[in-house]
Amino acid sequence: MAILVSRLLFLFSLFLSVAQCVTKTYDFDVSWVSANPDGLKERSVIGINGQWPIPTINVTKGDQLVVNVKNSLGNESTSLHFHGLYQNGTTHMDGPAQVSQCAIMPGSTFTYNFTVDQPGTYWYHSHVRGQYPDGLRGAFIVQDPEDPHKDLYDEEIVLTFSDWYHDHMPDLLASFISIANPSGAEPVPNSALVNETQNLAVKIKPGKTYMFRIINMGAFAAQYIWFEGHTMQVVEVDGVYTEPADAEMIYVTVAQRWSVLVTAKNDTNANFAFVGSMDEDLFDTVPDGLNPNVTGWLVYDDTKEKPAPKEIESFEPFDDFDLVPQDKEELYDHVDYQIQLDMKMDNLDDGANYAFFNDQTYAAPKVPTLYTVLSTGPNATNPEIYGSHTNQFVLDHNQVVEIVLNNDDPGKHPFHLHGHAFQLVHRSADDAGFYDASNHSAFPATPMRRDTILVNPNGNLVLRFRSDNPGVWLFHCHIEWHVASGLIATIIEAPLALQKQLSGKIPQDHQQACRAGNVLMEGNAAGNTVDVLDLQGETSFPSPIPTGFTARGIVALVFSCVAAFVGMGVIGWYGMAPIKAKSG
Amino acid sequence: MVNVFAVPVFFICFRECLECSIIVSVLLAFLKQTLGPDHDAHIRKKLVRQIWWGIGLGVFVCLIIAAGIIGTFYTVGRNAFESAEYIYEGVFSLVAAVIITLMGAALLRVSKLQDKWRVKIAKVLEQKDSIGFGKGKVKQWCEKYAMFLLPFVTVLREGIEAVLFISGVGLGLPATSFPLAVICGLGAGALVGYLIYLGGHRTSLQIFLVASTCFLYLVAAGLFSKGVWDLETNAWVKLAGEGAAEAGAGPGSYDIRQSVWHVGCCTPGSNGDGGWGIFNSLFGWQNSATYGSVISYNLYWLGVIVGFLILGFKERNERYPFQKAKHVATEDNESESSGGVVEKKGAPGAPRAAVREIET
Repeated sequence: MAILVSRLLFLFSLFLSVAQCVTKTYDFDVSWVSANPDGLKERSVIGINGQWPIPTINVTKGDQLVVNVKNSLGNESTSLHFHGLYQNGTTHMDGPAQVSQCAIMPGSTFTYNFTVDQPGTYWYHSHVRGQYPDGLRGAFIVQDPEDPHKDLYDEEIVLTFSDWYHDHMPDLLASFISIANPSGAEPVPNSALVNETQNLAVKIKPGKTYMFRIINMGAFAAQYIWFEGHTMQVVEVDGVYTEPADAEMIYVTVAQRWSVLVTAKNDTNANFAFVGSMDEDLFDTVPDGLNPNVTGWLVYDDTKEKPAPKEIESFEPFDDFDLVPQDKEELYDHVDYQIQLDMKMDNLDDGANYAFFNDQTYAAPKVPTLYTVLSTGPNATNPEIYGSHTNQFVLDHNQVVEIVLNNDDPGKHPFHLHGHAFQLVHRSADDAGFYDASNHSAFPATPMRRDTILVNPNGNLVLRFRSDNPGVWLFHCHIEWHVASGLIATIIEAPLALQKQLSGKIPQDHQQACRAGNVLMEGNAAGNTVDVLDLQGETSFPSPIPTGFTARGIVALVFSCVAAFVGMGVIGWYGMAPIKAKSG
Repeated sequence: MVNVFAVPVFFICFRECLECSIIVSVLLAFLKQTLGPDHDAHIRKKLVRQIWWGIGLGVFVCLIIAAGIIGTFYTVGRNAFESAEYIYEGVFSLVAAVIITLMGAALLRVSKLQDKWRVKIAKVLEQKDSIGFGKGKVKQWCEKYAMFLLPFVTVLREGIEAVLFISGVGLGLPATSFPLAVICGLGAGALVGYLIYLGGHRTSLQIFLVASTCFLYLVAAGLFSKGVWDLETNAWVKLAGEGAAEAGAGPGSYDIRQSVWHVGCCTPGSNGDGGWGIFNSLFGWQNSATYGSVISYNLYWLGVIVGFLILGFKERNERYPFQKAKHVATEDNESESSGGVVEKKGAPGAPRAAVREIET
């Protein structure tokens, strides 16, 4: 009897532990629907299952997530990237087209299947060229039964902020990368949204503490966010728990997530506004009539009025550099490998403005980079095979890697690394120029960590992470316009370990996606399987602008001079005729 | 230096003033010869006075017109046409270049003018002898005051030519650079003209004329090219908008599809400042040349070359190229044509006579 009971208990506990590993399945049918979130213009947006805003993915830490995507858009391919998820062992589920997979063609289906082993606030969005601002972006929340802050709050509320364009991204992209836009002025959004709407009323109860999971799902605009009359306590950023830190106002770049605790007041006398204000520094010109703010209200009593937000004199946001991770992970003080990225914006000979890392802009290879890794055997460790325009870096397994990012552009940029959260070791002020390893402020002992970080205008950043996640990971600016103009680097982490992990394990529907799109799955960046060092046939790209006189210019100048001399000779001949006539 | 002294403006004023002084000196010499000691000194003095009046009034009116036009350009015109600045400058440059081209050749045949004047002076003398001929009042007045009208009209014509030219070339230059350049140009032109009058060698005079005309056409070619360049730049600025202005002299400030050469240095500058600005005014130099500007420059010279060749051909052969030579057909025609032939023979003759007279 005792044995039976103990066996039953054993089986029961086994069942319990298995029950912890739940598989959550979402079936997403991606198609165009119609919406008018700011009340100013009805337009078609990309919805899921006939609805927009698209559903929030809600899982618990440890769950297996299965997302079955069907592309019913008809005119565009698509893919999904789960922003901030490390995809450990599942880099082929990461989502960027022509990097980790082939794009999902109209009419095709594709399944994302991976384990979610990290808690926090994330989001998911399309990762084909410039598509997600047309609506394909939503929240991705991972619950954690062991959340260190779970006793600090009563309820959680998701607040997504974003910018919003009235025009469709393909049209905006065409006018952005064009000879008629030589300075690379990014299209300015038409309005700002919170939870894909405006004037949001958030009902709260007095005395309770709420955790707001704030996500910026925009294409371009960072937002200053504050709650009037209430102080926020930052407890998590980009999936990394932090020691609670007080903040009156936070600056959330696109793709960043911040979880903040807000304690409701004890009385219900008034309602309080909260504001998301787009950072107009980013806009090339501010059009007349643009309202850069989106307002919502913490509603204690919905019979009372909702006051208009007060004007503020200046923006004084909290600096996320000062955050301390809850787990107090120590600084990686020994660096095995350094990647230096000098970024700038410049023009190429098609007249359009492009973005460059180390004088090289990004153009997608003919074979998705992951498939190049998997199909080139020992050559996968040779960076050359990945192409001339992919800004590629090959990392060994389990090394401490440092990225030094020098921003040679007067703009603010939010940089995101797939597959990892990194330590923010150093961020310079504006106009500090390039990073000087021998002259910088002391590095923090327990640096803050996140996966999307702001670099200041003409300043620099130093990031460190451990290459413990074999895969192909992009490092790129998360402003969609700059993704289109090529501000992307490719990190190929531990290619040989990756081959061991994934060879032969790419699912059928991934292979079908490539066939449907006529995309090669084997070989180097040009699709060459025989000689992987031969890149002939790789994606072509505009050339740099020639400096000085070209052959054409010299010929033109010489010819013009000759014409002038001959002309003057003829005038002289004509002019001297009376004299000749006289003597004749 | 360019901010107080516009070199191209100096050259133009110099040349135009030189032309005027040459015409004036020829007129005066002519008078001296034709109305020699055996004529009434009183009449000659009166006619000389008429000449000086004509010159003086011509210069005065020119200055007023010049001040008016340039003043308007630099204030009202600039502001009114700000959005169409390039179109404005471009069209103006093209028109000025064409006018200069057509009028510039005239001075090379100043000798031809002398025949006309000889006839006019002869008529004046006849008029003196027989006043009240009965023709129209205006015509009568004109013939009486021919010595006033001739230099007046010539100076006026040359002066307006100069104004147009200066406006075209000087549109990019700061207004402060004009006065000094104009004064120096006029002074230098008058001085050289006077020296030529004293020196009197026909050959050196003609060489001066040829050199200054070559220079004139060089500047006109540059102006023509610049006009086309302005119009192309206007199209580019309309297309690229803010980006073009922000780009300075770098990528984005010009249409790369039309570019023949682009160098970052050596820009003429927004106000035509600096050495390269002078290059721009004199030769039409652009640091960023387009197919349009280069081709138009060469086509201009082609046109000038062909034009002068035709003129030269016509002079030598009495007909245009590809035209049939005029035959002596009938008796009637013969008498007319012989009259024509006589006159034509006379034409080469007269200058020779004038030349000899000036030389002595």
